[in-house]
Amino acid sequence: MASRAPAATSRLLVGFRKWYYNACGFNKIGLMRDDTINEDSDVKEAIRRLPEQVYNDRMFRVKRALDLSMKQQILPKDQWTKYEEDVHYLEPYLEEVVRERKEKEEWAKK
Amino acid sequence: SMKSKTRLGEPYGSGLLVASLENYSPVSKIGVFVKAGSRYETAENLGVTHILRLASNLTTKGASAFRICHGLEAVGASLSVTSSREHMVYSLDCLRDDFDGVTEYLINVTTAPDFRPWELSDLLPRVKIDKAVADQSPQIGVLEKLHEAAYKNALSNSLYCPDHMVGKISVDHLQQFFANNYTSARMALVGLGVSHAALMKVGEQFFSTHTGAAAPGAVYRGGELRVQSGGGLVHALLACEGAAAGSAEANAFSVLQRLLGVGPHVKRGSNITSKLSQGITKATAQPFDVSATAFSATYSDSGLFGVYIISQADSVINAAMAQVTAVAEGRLTADDLTRAKTQLMADYLMSLESSEGLLEELGVQVLSSGTYSSPQTVTQSIDSVTSSDVVKAAKKFVESKKTMSCYGHLANTPFVDEL
Repeated sequence: MASRAPAATSRLLVGFRKWYYNACGFNKIGLMRDDTINEDSDVKEAIRRLPEQVYNDRMFRVKRALDLSMKQQILPKDQWTKYEEDVHYLEPYLEEVVRERKEKEEWAKK
Repeated sequence: SMKSKTRLGEPYGSGLLVASLENYSPVSKIGVFVKAGSRYETAENLGVTHILRLASNLTTKGASAFRICHGLEAVGASLSVTSSREHMVYSLDCLRDDFDGVTEYLINVTTAPDFRPWELSDLLPRVKIDKAVADQSPQIGVLEKLHEAAYKNALSNSLYCPDHMVGKISVDHLQQFFANNYTSARMALVGLGVSHAALMKVGEQFFSTHTGAAAPGAVYRGGELRVQSGGGLVHALLACEGAAAGSAEANAFSVLQRLLGVGPHVKRGSNITSKLSQGITKATAQPFDVSATAFSATYSDSGLFGVYIISQADSVINAAMAQVTAVAEGRLTADDLTRAKTQLMADYLMSLESSEGLLEELGVQVLSSGTYSSPQTVTQSIDSVTSSDVVKAAKKFVESKKTMSCYGHLANTPFVDEL
């Protein structure tokens, strides 16, 4: 099976990933993937490091989603977040936070 | 026999100057001197050098802040940064054997800082502490105000971040200032207790193709700034435009400074060799609250010379001026001159005894003039100052447009045009 699915961006897998993204459902209330990430201490630090504009956009999307969830509604279909538009904005900051933490742990072991 | 020799080199024509002095010490001291002092700040980025100095231990492209700190601590090395009006100096002390391991940190800090916004915003409390400490000290206040009053640009910039820029220095300001000033043509790499070949190899990593921005010359204007701050004492600094560093006139001013007196040479002594002290003890009956020393500062294209007086009585400033006028009229003996020259030479040679003093002297000379003059050369040029040179320097002080800055209880302090 592994030999039949070479690179992660093969045409078969992209179709699957799109289907899965839509099945998750958070795009129906206007969220992006990184808005839904579980906030442990690393993620909290990464969010603290976001530039102001990105942070404000995130807060807006979360507030809108909470409001919709309370009213038991979803956005109209043309406002759902599209798979292509979903930007993994938190990923670089999170990677850096984890790298720094690992560096500290490595050092403490010595 | 062991001989110490200063060697100069320039790797690959990058413009970086490398100087080393092998003193066979078990401790190596490496300094990177950059022409990035507060004089190179512009109106848009006042205070950027203050932030840069505090930001020197932050994450770089090659090493995180954590790694720099712990890496240096692990080998007992230390990295410190000093900034002046003309230079930013990064100096690294380590054991000779650890030299190869620690130079990467120095290179990273001086050529590849990352300027991460969240690390920079954490610096804000440190800026405020620096400013609060400076505000408490009248000596710092009077010196900063003197420069602000004396020059129109460049040297008038304060060493500290001005109030309106605290919290407003952005990553863009820092990156632009860095790109304009931290080019290898504006840097000197100096080492004490290192082999010249090893230092040249380190110097190769400083290669940069930028030429940097041109800097304006300092223009003297002569002004006056007074700060009422209560308290019982008045700190007054009265100066004229002196001479640029390294010139023969600068030596004359330095000898004049020693002639007038720079503070007691004997602890708890009565400072009888200082002409200023002699003059003002006659003028006032409050000897314990009074101190007058001659002040001299030299920069690459200008200088300041004058008197710094701390007193309670208002007649003291005029008495100090009278002493300088006396010298300008030629009233100085050959003994006074010899004594002043000997004191100056002794002070200079003693400053070279410590590794900090030697590194600073080596670095500033190499960066300003591209060569190093041995202590013998410097003491000879001091010795060649004649009494007519000193009289000419004193006349320049008496006749030229003066600058004054005062701090304290100023009710009775004369203005500069009343002196």
